Amino acid sequence: MNLKIRGKLDQVFTAATGLSVVLLMLILVAILGPMLYRGGNAVFFQGTVEFRKMQRDLFRRADDTTLNAEIARTEEFRRQVYAMIDEFKKGVDVEALSDEVRELHRRFGEELRAKDVPSEQYSQLRGLTRDIRDNLETAFTKRDVGEIRPLVEAALQHAENPAFKGTSAEQFFRIARSFLATAEKVDLNHQREYAAALRDVEGILFHTQDLPGLLGPRPDEPQPLLVMLRYGTTRWDQARRLLDRFFWVEEWVEGNPGQPLVMRRTARAELFPESFRPLFSYVRDNAEKMLEPRFTAYWQFFLDDNVNSHYFGGVGPEILGTLFITVVGMLFVIPLGVVSAAYLVECAPDGQVIRIIRMCINTLAGVPSIVFGLFGLAFFVLFLFPLLGFEPKPCILAASMTLAVLTLPVMIRASEEAIRAVPRSYREGSLALGSSRFHTFVSVTLPAALPGILTGVILSLSRIAGETAPILFTGAVSMGDVPRSVFDPTRTLSYGSYDMAVGDRLAMMVPHNQYGMVVTLVLLILILNTVAIVLRTRVFKKLRGQ
Amino acid sequence: MSQESQDMQTTADHIKKSDVRTTVAVTPRKAPADTPADEACECAVIRSENFCLYYGSKTGVKNITMDIYPCSVTAIIGPSGCGKSTFLRSINRMNDLIPHVRTEGRLEVDGHHIYDKRTNLVNLRQQVGMVFQKPNPFPKSIFDNVAYGPRLQGIRRKDELQHIVEQSLRGGALWEEVKDDLNKSALALSGGQQQRLCIARALATRPRVLLMDEPCSALDPIATAKIEDLMGQLQGTYTIVIVTHNMQQAARVSERAAFFCLGELIEYDYTSRIFSNPKKKETEDYVTGRFG
Repeated sequence: MNLKIRGKLDQVFTAATGLSVVLLMLILVAILGPMLYRGGNAVFFQGTVEFRKMQRDLFRRADDTTLNAEIARTEEFRRQVYAMIDEFKKGVDVEALSDEVRELHRRFGEELRAKDVPSEQYSQLRGLTRDIRDNLETAFTKRDVGEIRPLVEAALQHAENPAFKGTSAEQFFRIARSFLATAEKVDLNHQREYAAALRDVEGILFHTQDLPGLLGPRPDEPQPLLVMLRYGTTRWDQARRLLDRFFWVEEWVEGNPGQPLVMRRTARAELFPESFRPLFSYVRDNAEKMLEPRFTAYWQFFLDDNVNSHYFGGVGPEILGTLFITVVGMLFVIPLGVVSAAYLVECAPDGQVIRIIRMCINTLAGVPSIVFGLFGLAFFVLFLFPLLGFEPKPCILAASMTLAVLTLPVMIRASEEAIRAVPRSYREGSLALGSSRFHTFVSVTLPAALPGILTGVILSLSRIAGETAPILFTGAVSMGDVPRSVFDPTRTLSYGSYDMAVGDRLAMMVPHNQYGMVVTLVLLILILNTVAIVLRTRVFKKLRGQ
Repeated sequence: MSQESQDMQTTADHIKKSDVRTTVAVTPRKAPADTPADEACECAVIRSENFCLYYGSKTGVKNITMDIYPCSVTAIIGPSGCGKSTFLRSINRMNDLIPHVRTEGRLEVDGHHIYDKRTNLVNLRQQVGMVFQKPNPFPKSIFDNVAYGPRLQGIRRKDELQHIVEQSLRGGALWEEVKDDLNKSALALSGGQQQRLCIARALATRPRVLLMDEPCSALDPIATAKIEDLMGQLQGTYTIVIVTHNMQQAARVSERAAFFCLGELIEYDYTSRIFSNPKKKETEDYVTGRFG
């Protein structure tokens, strides 16, 4: 009976341990799976023609003939959109129209002066165009077609005047005719709302002041200063989100009093008069033809340094910066950690002082990382650097030193355990051969403790590469050049993903890049750890004589 | 650096001198006299006079007075905790590693009081090699293990090192077994081979004295037999002091034997007399198995 229970208990124990391992694997898959999938989106996606344009302009990666053909094809379909918007705009955007006629009047005067017409003819023609301009400007302010028509017709009666042939004054009549046409079709009482709604549509389709749009800037408009505004959406999934915003207006409205706000979606087309609605069905039907999405494997994501890498993707400088900080950090951690551990094990007499030192190390391991960040700023950047004659600014050196302080406890403890675990007989054997204590440590104890020390290296390596808070104030930037020395600040993967998480509307448009950065960080740490583990296994095998 | 190399140089000189002395010392043995004390005092390599060692307030050994003679095997026997290992480790000052150790009296090796402040520990330990209870080869290659001592003496030349390693491994009766894979890790050897490697490693510094602290207790009978054979070969050249629990072993290998009990030297005589005709009651009880 007793034996049976014991057997059962053993089985339960085995099952429980197996189950916990399976559970661990499941959790790992549950965490890493979606992250890998989403991160993979940064590399594999449906790239649009805008993506290929961007690649050509920024990296000279393109087959020019095919790309030009593509651009021509897409422009063909886009032109229709431009035309529809232009025509509608003529009717509703009266301020723009007024500006235009005023500009026309001025330009016409310059043309006349250039032609050296006699002064009385000059003043007569100027008077005529002034009348036309005034009539049109008044017409633009009216809402009622009945009032508009006489004013426009008054302007149009000069249309046949031979003096205006071939001058900018001809434009007056084109504007007048299209305005009258729009006024007859559209209820101008809603002019203001239309203008506002049109601005939204243009923002989504082309770009706003700070956000890129679906198609990119119009070919006839001057190139925007921000590089990212020069291209439309580079990815089809992003385009689909923009299209959704294009077709639907989302508003947060109060449902029932005291209840959370609810989102209401209304069709954007309903904000516009009947005559403009074909634009929406046109975009719906031809979106793919305007963007030509195609499957893209963007391997250069891991190498590229885009000016706006957070928008277009490309984490080359981030990877470089992370490696840089990690390597410099390890240069501090490994010697300091091993030497401190050696002191604690080999030299320090057992006593109160050592107990206090060990307690301090353990406490240090539990301090929140943001505290280290502030410490690094206060001590290294603001205190130590001016003292040593360096410029007191955040840089890789400060970041690495801060991270080194952060991971020192881990390194010391791992090395201490490793050194303590070396059999005393090794030490005695070496000393009995006449070796000094230092030489014994360097030539016998340290090599024997190497696998354990490498475990400490692995632990602190992952920590250094992944920490964000300590480098927040000491050496990380979200944009900037690739560092040239340890006295430059750098972009890092950890800080980049943090920066995007707390970023603005732009960051919300590119979650794939954020995941891409996180996955890159995980892969980088994985690779670094694999290297360290392989190294450790080899050292271990060599020590064991296998 | 220059200081160190100078030290190394003097060490090397010293070794050479000791070599000469060793060869001189290999003279036909004297016939057993009535007692060891009858022999000429100059012959003793190790002289202990009222030597005491304390661990803090605990006594390790006290009032040990004995002479150990060159080119012979001296066994130290006694029950556990009687101080025989402590005494053995005192001879090359390995007890210094233990905190709060204090000594009194004299312990001379080659006429130098080794607990003198001026004693050069490095020289002493190269003069007095030690083999431990458990084989403790370093986790390095066989070659590096044996070359460890010579390298400490400043020998860097490859051919010289090779020569020393070969001589030492031959001395340790291991050469034939390992000559083809000197670069293999020492930890890949069997226990008996490892212990012979440790002996070879100790021989590589060309010591005068070889201390062995129960060198066979972790080995099987075959390996033990090999080590004992080896001791037989070595005793013509080296002064060997061996601590052992195994009285048959002491009887087999040693010329003289010392019986320790409770930190004191009870009896010291030719092994044959200790086992056949002990003078003290305790010794008789111990060797006949009535006690201990």
